[in-house]
Amino acid sequence: MIHYLQTIHSDQEGYERLAELATATDKLGASRLELDCSRVRFFDANMAAPLGAVLARVADRFNAVEIVSMPDVVERVLRKNSFLTQFRYQPMEDDYKTTIPFRRFQKADEGAFEDYLQRHLKGKGIPSMTEGMGKVFKQKLFEVFQNAVIHSESELGIFVCGQFFPQKQKLDLTIADAGIGIRDAVRRYFQDKKIASVPAIRWALEEGHTTKKGKQPGGLGLKFLHDFARLNKGRIHIVSRFGFYEFREGTESFAKMTGDYPGTVVTLEVNTSDTSAYRLASEVAAEDIF
Amino acid sequence: MMSKEVIVRVFDIVGGPLCVSAEDGQRVHDKIVPLLREGTKVVLSFEQVETLISAFLNAAIGQFYGEFPEERIRELLTVRDMDEDDMAILKRVVDNAKKYFSNPKAFDEALREEMGHDEE
Repeated sequence: MIHYLQTIHSDQEGYERLAELATATDKLGASRLELDCSRVRFFDANMAAPLGAVLARVADRFNAVEIVSMPDVVERVLRKNSFLTQFRYQPMEDDYKTTIPFRRFQKADEGAFEDYLQRHLKGKGIPSMTEGMGKVFKQKLFEVFQNAVIHSESELGIFVCGQFFPQKQKLDLTIADAGIGIRDAVRRYFQDKKIASVPAIRWALEEGHTTKKGKQPGGLGLKFLHDFARLNKGRIHIVSRFGFYEFREGTESFAKMTGDYPGTVVTLEVNTSDTSAYRLASEVAAEDIF
Repeated sequence: MMSKEVIVRVFDIVGGPLCVSAEDGQRVHDKIVPLLREGTKVVLSFEQVETLISAFLNAAIGQFYGEFPEERIRELLTVRDMDEDDMAILKRVVDNAKKYFSNPKAFDEALREEMGHDEE
């Protein structure tokens, strides 16, 4: 089959278009997908992560995936960040060093993810961040990565990609999985098959809320992410199935998407000019912890 | 008689400076549980640990609150070589675990707030 991809920005509309692609290819098996990009005028580089997750699902059903007719300007972005090399395109040097490349990790690859962050976040505005902030930023990315490991129930792995915008002093990093989505985890937890995506995301964002059952408490990772974005004046997107969540300029918003994005995506945009000290709480004495 | 004290080095159990998975947290937990059961004082050292997250701490420490009374944990467990930011995270993990295990059923019920049922 041929699917015509449209322009993809890092916003709700961009995710709607990826959901359309997922739905259109949902029944395709042992066949071929030609992703025609002739209508793509622009592609936000970090969106290679969720696109990669969608295409991995397609390929997992024994389909050959081919990407064709990509306009030069878009092709350059996606060759520089190595997304297209998996589709037999030649890599391209990133002269401005603003790329945070596309990478697919297996669930047990925390060490490789650490290497990736060490290697690719350096020189991307991190020096201007305080040491404390760089550390906290990395911690939050690991929280998101581990959420995907624990909750996605997907063996396809975790898809990561980013972009640094030196002029705007912003850095976007997106972590995507091709899993069951927050909605299905919450449905199972409450044994209620009718719970919708938006209330499921809203529920999952509350401190102490976790779908883990049994001995391990949880429900702090997304809360910490949120605390960080608030302090940093950064931005968060969470997309999961039909749900879209955005936190920007201190305000949260939720929207129901028309399409079903098959998995969960978290984008964290950090303000790299931030020089806050990042004390998460007033001093805690070791003897007062337990 | 003073009970003996054992220093448990997280770095050695995990095998590196990254404490970023629930699975590694579980290994730390499993290593400590027998010590706490026999009443040994445990000093958990985070020396050389560079990155740690809540999912790790929930598994490594949070679940003790489902296995031992709070006073027993306070009596037997201490942490050291942890920077202030990480201690703040651990404190949140511990407070959350206490709430979670104090009455798991009530906690669950409290979580079951109104859920939307839009058609999807």
